[in-house]
Amino acid sequence: MNNLQRMPKVSELPDVSFDGVNEPYIPGETLNISPKLKLHSKWSDDIDPISYEVIRHNLWNINEEHGATIQRISGSPVAIYAFDLNPSILTEDAEFVFFGPYMQYMSGVTDVQVKWLLENRSDNPGIEDGDMFLANDPWVGAAHQMDVMLICPVFWEGELFCWVTNCLHQHDIGGITPASFCPSAESTFDEGILIPPIKIIENNEIRRDIEELYLRSSRSPEIVALDFRAQMAGNMAAKERILALIKRYGPETIKGVMKKIISTAEVDFLEKLSKIPDGEWRERSYVECCRPGDRQVYPAHILVRKKGNHLTFENEGTALQDGAMNATYAGWRGSVMVAINQILCWEQSFAMGGALRHITFDPTPGTFTCARFPASVSTAPVQAMEIALYPTYNVLAKMVYSDPEMRKDIMCTGGSSQFPTVFFNGLDQRGDRYAMGLIDPLAGAIGAFSNGDGISTGGQARTPICKIPNIEHTEQLYPLLILYRREIADSGGAGKYRGGLSAEVAFMPHNTEEILHNTVSSGSALPTSIGMMGGYPGVTNIITFSKDTDVLTRMDEGLLFDDLEALGGETIAVPLRQENFSQKAADIFSVTWSGGGGYGEPLEREPSRVAEDVRAYSVTREAAHTVYGVVLDRETGDVNVALTKSLREDRRHKRIQSYEGDVKTLEGELILEVTQNINVRQGDAGKHYCCSRCSADLGAISGNYKEACISENLPLSVSNPLIGDPDRFVDADPLFRQFICPGCGFIVETEICLRDDPFLDDIRLQL
Amino acid sequence: MTSYLIGVDIGGTFTDCVIVGDDGQITTAKAPSTPEDYSRGVLNSMSVAADQLGYSLEEICRSTRLLTHGTTIGTNAVIQKRGAKVGIITTKGHNDVIHIMRGSRGLTGRDISKIIHFPESSKPTPLVPKSLIEGISERVDYRGDVVVPLHEGETREAIKSLLDKGVEAIAICFLWSFKRPEHELRVKEILAEMAPDVFVTCSSDLVPRWGEYERLTATALNAYIGPLTAGYLLRLDQKFKDLGYAYPLQVVQCGGGTISVERAVQAPLLTLDSGPVAGVTGSKYLGQIMGYSNIITTDMGGTSFDVGLVIDGEPAASSLGLVNQYEYFLPNVDIQAIGAGGGSLVEIDEKNGLIKVGPQSAGAQPGPVCYGRGGTQATVTDAALVLGYISPDKFASGTMKLAKDQAEKVIYDVAASLDMTPLACAAGIVRIAEFQMADLIRKATVQRGIDPRDFVVFAFGGAGPMHAGVYAFEAGAKKVVVPQTKMASTWCAFGAGAADILHVYEIVDIIAEPFGASQFSQHLASLEAQADAQFDYEQGSTAGKISYRYSISLRHKGQINEVEIFLPGAHLTEGDIAKLKGEFYDRYEQLYGLGSYYSKAKLEAVTFRLRAVVETPKPQLVQSLTATGEIPDGVLLGSRSVYWDGLGQSVDTPVYDAELLVYGNAIVGPAILETVDTTIVLHPERRAFVDHFGNVEITQI
Repeated sequence: MNNLQRMPKVSELPDVSFDGVNEPYIPGETLNISPKLKLHSKWSDDIDPISYEVIRHNLWNINEEHGATIQRISGSPVAIYAFDLNPSILTEDAEFVFFGPYMQYMSGVTDVQVKWLLENRSDNPGIEDGDMFLANDPWVGAAHQMDVMLICPVFWEGELFCWVTNCLHQHDIGGITPASFCPSAESTFDEGILIPPIKIIENNEIRRDIEELYLRSSRSPEIVALDFRAQMAGNMAAKERILALIKRYGPETIKGVMKKIISTAEVDFLEKLSKIPDGEWRERSYVECCRPGDRQVYPAHILVRKKGNHLTFENEGTALQDGAMNATYAGWRGSVMVAINQILCWEQSFAMGGALRHITFDPTPGTFTCARFPASVSTAPVQAMEIALYPTYNVLAKMVYSDPEMRKDIMCTGGSSQFPTVFFNGLDQRGDRYAMGLIDPLAGAIGAFSNGDGISTGGQARTPICKIPNIEHTEQLYPLLILYRREIADSGGAGKYRGGLSAEVAFMPHNTEEILHNTVSSGSALPTSIGMMGGYPGVTNIITFSKDTDVLTRMDEGLLFDDLEALGGETIAVPLRQENFSQKAADIFSVTWSGGGGYGEPLEREPSRVAEDVRAYSVTREAAHTVYGVVLDRETGDVNVALTKSLREDRRHKRIQSYEGDVKTLEGELILEVTQNINVRQGDAGKHYCCSRCSADLGAISGNYKEACISENLPLSVSNPLIGDPDRFVDADPLFRQFICPGCGFIVETEICLRDDPFLDDIRLQL
Repeated sequence: MTSYLIGVDIGGTFTDCVIVGDDGQITTAKAPSTPEDYSRGVLNSMSVAADQLGYSLEEICRSTRLLTHGTTIGTNAVIQKRGAKVGIITTKGHNDVIHIMRGSRGLTGRDISKIIHFPESSKPTPLVPKSLIEGISERVDYRGDVVVPLHEGETREAIKSLLDKGVEAIAICFLWSFKRPEHELRVKEILAEMAPDVFVTCSSDLVPRWGEYERLTATALNAYIGPLTAGYLLRLDQKFKDLGYAYPLQVVQCGGGTISVERAVQAPLLTLDSGPVAGVTGSKYLGQIMGYSNIITTDMGGTSFDVGLVIDGEPAASSLGLVNQYEYFLPNVDIQAIGAGGGSLVEIDEKNGLIKVGPQSAGAQPGPVCYGRGGTQATVTDAALVLGYISPDKFASGTMKLAKDQAEKVIYDVAASLDMTPLACAAGIVRIAEFQMADLIRKATVQRGIDPRDFVVFAFGGAGPMHAGVYAFEAGAKKVVVPQTKMASTWCAFGAGAADILHVYEIVDIIAEPFGASQFSQHLASLEAQADAQFDYEQGSTAGKISYRYSISLRHKGQINEVEIFLPGAHLTEGDIAKLKGEFYDRYEQLYGLGSYYSKAKLEAVTFRLRAVVETPKPQLVQSLTATGEIPDGVLLGSRSVYWDGLGQSVDTPVYDAELLVYGNAIVGPAILETVDTTIVLHPERRAFVDHFGNVEITQI
């Protein structure tokens, strides 16, 4: 088992240099910039609201045009379907003005790289008008090596006025595995080229020597070269338009608008914080398998501490860096920022600079979500960064719940919460070499809300405008026949509000001898789309390989099937990380990605909604009964109201019938609604948690309310009927833990945990 | 008796009718739209116009050579969810295509800056529930080879099951059917036998394009609006026949032309969202006469601002339609829209001293505060009224008196909360909206490699001429044309009357280099045969000159961007093929920037296309031959106080009757030019000039 001894956080390491070499780069309060570089730092505070709005809209548009330019010129499926890019505008000292509506975590990797550049390149080779810098070093600030940034300073009259930047995922930049996702890498030396920011464009011209160095490690230098031109054109377009704005309105007005965009966002952010009690909120989740053959699981923790007008995020309790599952500081921070932006700053149109003034990121170096050099990090976005992102929704949800307005912004963990990465390669139907990843799991699912169901196959929250290819697109490009792609009933986490459904895609080779697979899939044994406030998790990832099926015979008979069971063959549990796994003519490879997490107690879901779910093929009849406790008429499918009522009461009664403790009811003043199941009331002995329904006392707020609940350890399959035996993949003993109110028998909270895990101390209020 | 062309266009509030005589006389009329049965509003507007000419409805119908109709009936059915109960038959295993929606949530009409707020970001209600989608065994691959033949037994069971569930229309869409339509056509045959009365659509008939989500959505939408649209059009066609109109009714379609009522009944999807298209075809026609081949068309009404392009004399095309978050294939005129109209709401953030305009709109109900229908939040129209741009007595042909005092009150409140003077604040509100429109023009042009400086801007719709003098120049254009001032607000009805008959045929076949002339010619010949068959069938309606225009869309292999290259004809030589590559690179650079193409990559042909056009009789516009600088008597109506942002003050400003201005008249701003239902706002440093067709041109001084 992983070493979980207490290790120092960044804030506890005053003597360590976080310079982006062996330790991640973490900028200090002030930046150490060479006096050679003159910063433009005068601005006007006196801007009328009309000019402000006109210029604000212009700046937003410039950033949008920047992204559209990259997409247009790149033309690659990565840019156009997956939207795996993001443009930004930052002030001269690298505060965000805007970032784009594309790949969201890329925001977090942008400002740190610009700050590093200011500190490390302003003296030698210098930052000049007409320069652009290329960068992809994850210790400086990239998420993984394939996310290549192009950073462009914008000068006005000899002073650095602001920055425009973009980040675009590259198809291949080297490393031991085609497409540069290296599931078996042991360190970054097995992975793609590492480039700390270098001046690749000087005086508006590409430096040919540097470009050749950049392209040399790639298996597809032509595509990387075209993308580089797209990135360059994007920066040029944005730079030109900003200069035109400066000419028209004056530099101090434009800078004033930029500063006001940030300060406005800051005011709104602080107003939100002022409505939230102080405290700490915590979530725990697990990643599986850090190298081929590994059967361990690794905890990932996220903690947010709110004190006055400040938030601090930590990852204490997270496992040590190991194998190929890691991310660096920038990737972790960028992931956490995705959730912060969506829950707390969504009205601010991607202007996060204001909020960031009041947020500290204080992770523990050496953990797998804040890895030191030279850890392997090429698969960071699909594993370590997702396990950093999604649980953050839960801690922020519990943090804001007490405010009735902010409560509406809550969202549960979405689908593909550990992206089931399937890279395949070989010879295509035309005899050419190819290597490509299965993009379909980007269709994800959106988790439930506090006031409604999640969105089935509604995409991944971190890429809010992406689209997956049509079946016909994929079959045109690659030697596959896709047998089916369909939404899966019961895949969404159960709850008062149900998580969105995920889907399954199954394919066989077509017009080729063999397909070779490289797979990275965590989230296959333990669900990672966990529920919230009593909600259940969505389905796990399920990757199935059916060898030597009858599919060809059945096709000869003129029949198609849309499930694997009818097609025979030997079912093999695909190892979570493996390389060069061979798929032949009659073999079928199928991937189900994880669904959205559920919100609230499933027994409180409106029975008519469950009936509608069954009619819409979102929930099976069996699950309607076993999970939701709803009895439907066999013929009409309508709810049998009386039987449903008694079944649900019976379920609750059974949960509490053997409880032997006393149930004390609190009647003091209601002080806070903590979650949908827990209130704080004033008791005789101070402030106590109690059940929001029956007011049963759940203990003093200085303790963990879970101690006062009835806890039940249940098999994972109870949490979602589609989850299979975890023993196929991991040695650990995971389970579904329910905490039941001893007074009324409703669920207060759930956990996905290991048998030996202590109760997670998810809420600590300072009232 | 004179013979006439008639264009009728149904809008949200009014149904517009334009009658053009072969003597060039133009008559326009409006009648309230009648949503319970739109044909009443159509006939009413025609009666009003006929009446102006001194004829009865029958008389005018008998002497009409071409009657063209733009309908919103399909669009309304989709928005109001009143379409047919549709069943889908598709390839087994792929039943969920329209539910998965390519894993996106459909961004139409969304404020992209709020796109991360997922709680208000759901998918649209599915067009067809999963219980009415039947997958059957059949499979074709990317080459068009049959992998599994159509299973007729399953087909019959599926049809029976759908019929038992009471479907009123059936959409058939199999994977790769555009490569091999036989399976779909066989199902259609079986349906004709089992359920002859059910409305049936095959994807390979309607939109034989690559990409099953957008193709199936098109097919399902066609089935969804089919029975309703067909019923309406056939009823209307019969009424016109009864009234003595002797030719087939022509219906405006999204592709930028018209189709016969018969074709519209088969493929009602072609009429979906066709409303704004007629404005572009009218601009194309007027541009031809005036000698403008590059036009940015801008149509501003109460709730939206639509931008279209005419490039080298042809409307810019797109192959994707969007309605209610559904994306579907359809050859159409590319129109970009934002929710910036007169009804755009003003939002104030008092804490930060900020103001925003739109995208929320007061719509037609309650509408702006000055409508006096219960609106309480300031809008762009309220600001325009306060500034003096609009006369409270002349709005919508004087049918509706605007409450200026109420507008002043809300604008005053907004100004007070921002610590501004009310007039500067009102001017600011209008400016914010105008700059948003300029940004949309920029998006529709610059972001696609088109330079707006090479274009004139046509401004129409109720509010276009009011704001064009700012947004057009802000976007970089050199000149604004307010076409046919009398008709600016009924421009789409005129455009309907000016449209040619158009059929678009497509074949998708993804072919990598090396290209062969014979393979290409074969596809083009097959398109030609389809068009010939259609015109043979429609004989009688197609007396005009027929012309065929062929093109191929090419792209870099492995990339997405397609570039359309026009071809000399259907029969290509190896020499024509050899030229394609160079033309592709030229056009690619033009669209995507210098050095953006990559000569080492192979090219792929994707879409072969034929646009078949039949010229219809055209409105003859009367030209004035002599120009005069002298402004006729009675044109100057008086003056009113108007606040000009550029001057920073209110000025007593002359008001002219634009309809009485004649060729050669020039007016220097500041001035207000009024017509019966729209207002041209002429800012300082702008000059208006009336050309020999009576269009008003605005330039910067």
